[in-house]
Amino acid sequence: MPENSVLIVDSDPASRETAAWLKGAGFKVATAATGEEALSLIDNQDFSVMLLDMRLPGKHGLGVLREVKVKRPWLQAIVTTDHPSVESATEALKQGAVDYLVKPFSPQDLEKLVKDTIKSASKQKTVHVQIKAKQTPARISYQATFVISRDSLKNLVNSLIKEREAIGVRARQGKFAYDKVKNFDDLALDYDVTVNPPTAFFIPACETILRYKLGPTPEITPVTDTTPRVLIGVHPDDINAINLLDEVFMTGNPDPNYAARRQNTLIIGVDVLTPLPSSFAPSMGSYTAESGYDLLLTDIGNSSYMVTVGSEAGAQVLAKYAQVREPTVAETARQKQVRDEALSKYRLFLDMSRDKIPNLLENNYDNPYWKMRSETCLNCGSCIMVCPTCFCFDVQDDVSLNLTDGERIRKPDGCMLVDFSRVAAGANFRGDKVSRFRHRMYHKGKYILDRYGKFGCVGCGRCSVTCLAEIASPLEAYNAIAASETAREKARRTITNTRPQPELYLPHLASIVKTTPLSSRESLFEFRLKDGHKLGHRPGQFVEVYVFGIGESPISLTSSPTRDHTFEVAVRNVGNVTGALHRMEAGAPVGIRGPFGNGFPLEQMEGKDLLFIAGGIGIFPLRSLIQYVLDKRENYGKINLLFGARSPAERVFAGEMAEWSKAPDVNFMETVDKGDESWTGNVGVITTLIPKVQFDPKKTVAVVVGPPIMYRFVINELKKRDLADDNIIVSLERKMKCGVGKCGNCQINGVYVCQEGPVFSLTRLRTLREAI
Amino acid sequence: MKPKVAFFDFTSCEGCQLDALNLDVGEVLGLLGAVEIVNFREVKTDRSDDYDIAFIEGSITKESEIPRIEAIRKQAKVLVALGACACTGGVNCLKNAYKPDELLKGVYGECASYYNTILARPVSAVVPVDAYIRGCPPTTSEFLKVVKAALLGKRPDIPNYPVCTECRIAGNVCVFQRGGTCIGPVTRAGCDALCVSSGRFCWGCRGLVDDPNTNSAKDVLARYGLTLDQILERFKIYNSYSEVSQCQK
Repeated sequence: MPENSVLIVDSDPASRETAAWLKGAGFKVATAATGEEALSLIDNQDFSVMLLDMRLPGKHGLGVLREVKVKRPWLQAIVTTDHPSVESATEALKQGAVDYLVKPFSPQDLEKLVKDTIKSASKQKTVHVQIKAKQTPARISYQATFVISRDSLKNLVNSLIKEREAIGVRARQGKFAYDKVKNFDDLALDYDVTVNPPTAFFIPACETILRYKLGPTPEITPVTDTTPRVLIGVHPDDINAINLLDEVFMTGNPDPNYAARRQNTLIIGVDVLTPLPSSFAPSMGSYTAESGYDLLLTDIGNSSYMVTVGSEAGAQVLAKYAQVREPTVAETARQKQVRDEALSKYRLFLDMSRDKIPNLLENNYDNPYWKMRSETCLNCGSCIMVCPTCFCFDVQDDVSLNLTDGERIRKPDGCMLVDFSRVAAGANFRGDKVSRFRHRMYHKGKYILDRYGKFGCVGCGRCSVTCLAEIASPLEAYNAIAASETAREKARRTITNTRPQPELYLPHLASIVKTTPLSSRESLFEFRLKDGHKLGHRPGQFVEVYVFGIGESPISLTSSPTRDHTFEVAVRNVGNVTGALHRMEAGAPVGIRGPFGNGFPLEQMEGKDLLFIAGGIGIFPLRSLIQYVLDKRENYGKINLLFGARSPAERVFAGEMAEWSKAPDVNFMETVDKGDESWTGNVGVITTLIPKVQFDPKKTVAVVVGPPIMYRFVINELKKRDLADDNIIVSLERKMKCGVGKCGNCQINGVYVCQEGPVFSLTRLRTLREAI
Repeated sequence: MKPKVAFFDFTSCEGCQLDALNLDVGEVLGLLGAVEIVNFREVKTDRSDDYDIAFIEGSITKESEIPRIEAIRKQAKVLVALGACACTGGVNCLKNAYKPDELLKGVYGECASYYNTILARPVSAVVPVDAYIRGCPPTTSEFLKVVKAALLGKRPDIPNYPVCTECRIAGNVCVFQRGGTCIGPVTRAGCDALCVSSGRFCWGCRGLVDDPNTNSAKDVLARYGLTLDQILERFKIYNSYSEVSQCQK
């Protein structure tokens, strides 16, 4: 990086003289007249120091600074201005400027400052804000805290009331509200919350922004209100709200009307002693305020207050109207104690760090919560009208009756009102309750943050007090969304492996008790663990069957745990492991790992009617469930069993099925895709059976197991019969090498079938695009 | 050529007409400078049937009022419903809950037969209405707003949000929080929450907003201890003509 290159960004031609002078002093100098020009220069060239004027045509100096700091964080920026203010100085330093220089300055001073800046580029910023002015350099030490007696405070406030319009907190109809005050004794300094936000004095209910005369050559005059005001008793959360509005209205293209009010208003803050029960300011980080006030009071008892100076103007009025002294150690401790006591009274908290909110919202745009909660919304606008961070507005014209002159006025408006997003042609871009409700929550928790770096909610709790439908609290929304996400996560992670796996990859020794051929390709194997224990499985789970020297295969358990100490698996001879298994005889040793995965939702099925649908060897896993249910027949309602095979020769467990159908209240239906001369039953794919079955969709759980191709068609048929997604259960097949969510073969999107499956509800499947 | 304006009264207390003239001197002069009033029973005796804009006060409650309003509609280029009775039927519609004979007897006793009455209804139930100036009575500012909009040929900015919005802007403590009940949450704003700001509650005189969530309002009122009948009584004061049927579901 060039050691002595300076970029001067200034629209004033006088800056060219500065440039010439710096060049003479040995610096390399470039100039830019606008922020846009400066930004494009910076894109192509490195500078060590930038002199940046605040008032530029187009993009405001602070906006340029912000972008520069993103692009070139190391670039040392000195902000220069003709219009110094503590607010802009603070803002500039906050944005990362190293100094704040008031014009005009002497060439010698500038040269020294630029040299010093380059030299100390690596050093830390001072904590003091220094405004370099021509005549009297004022050194303001922020956060200096003094003790002020109540009498002296009264004198201060009453003096301010005489010199400016005073707005303070007063009791109103059993609550508190900001209102004009005429005397210190009218003021409430210990209150929970005001019904109206203090920001209403910066964006008033009805504000004239322009006056005009109509005619062939209209005349337009801007109107700004420069009445000196003082706001007394503003809570830290509201001060933080004002800081956000400053960000919105005073950076980039500053809003002249807001800026005029803001710059002519003194803010005297007061720490909260009695928080509102619905406030969650600590969770939003706005329980204390670091800046944004001129003076901040803390009631430390004994008719004394701590007063913290937040600005030059604050220091001046304090010096002019009050007597203060340095606090004792005990008083400083008392201030901390008062704040801690108040903090301990808050009752509502975010269930997560607030930093998580934007991401949470990002992922939950379609969360059913929005619809569910917004249904009772009255669109009454109360929540946005009491909100200290809501700033949207409408602009209307009011013309005189003789149509010769008029004014433009702005009024508060906001996203919760029906017509806020309606355009003249009639379209309404947020025409339903859900989108309005959701927009507000996103605006508070994400959009504002993305744009201005601050949350659009300070947790004051006013909206939840005022909302008659009791739906307005962002805290409740964010917590509920987070909870639903946790629940979803939990559902995703429900793992019902019942047997511990101390040595994950070490198979338990088992031996074949019996083999029974089921068809030309399939046999049933009965195993017993060497240690004599039960396997301890649930219907629907699987085991990894290991044929020594050949390999492992995931195989569904075919028998119910209610039957015996042994367990059965039915296996089709299709590969290495299954082929080897088919060659083995009774007594031969095998390795068993598992059981793995989750099983069928037995508890959900209890008391319900059941509809079992098996396609081909889908009957294998289903058999464990059917046996289980028949063994606990009294726990379940009516049973329908549908079975489809490709041909009569491929009907496995046909004999058993005939047995099952004799149990009370069991209806068995069977079909084959293609019949032969011996077949007299149904012919057709399994979906053709579904319309023939009688069942009550409200009382029925359907369990579907079969080849992948079958699922989509069967599910379609079931949806036609109005079965809810939650009550459609399927078991999926995947390649599962490890069985415990490590090897990754079985993943569907982010889900491991071996752990979170193989049994899934359709509700869950709908979130997995790769599933079927 | 100044537009010619006429005022007509139907069944009403005529308070809206008086209130329309409740302007300060400057405004009256401004109005008279902008329009020519050709027909206004409360103000002048001369009458003319040549007018452009007709302001209609009151609801339609007698057979004889129907041909009269139809004739006015035919003449007027712009027909404006002025006040709650003309806009929503207003309190007159409360009589619709009774049998006409019983009602007449109850009110006029032996003289009942001298009168005839039909179901009370807003003007829009009989003839098309171009603009509404709502309220019982309407605010003079809204009256002027509509007049000015008509003169400029634009649509006036009449709020389509509930009274709560303006009530919060006014910094009022919610009536519900003060232990009362209010139908502001479904009532169209535009009055700057006048009644609540004066310590009362909203009666709903400006009619319901376009899309009132009456079910939710009902739940809210019920949560604050009102029975369905009590809730409907509140709604019915000004909104019994049509809108109330929605919340009886």
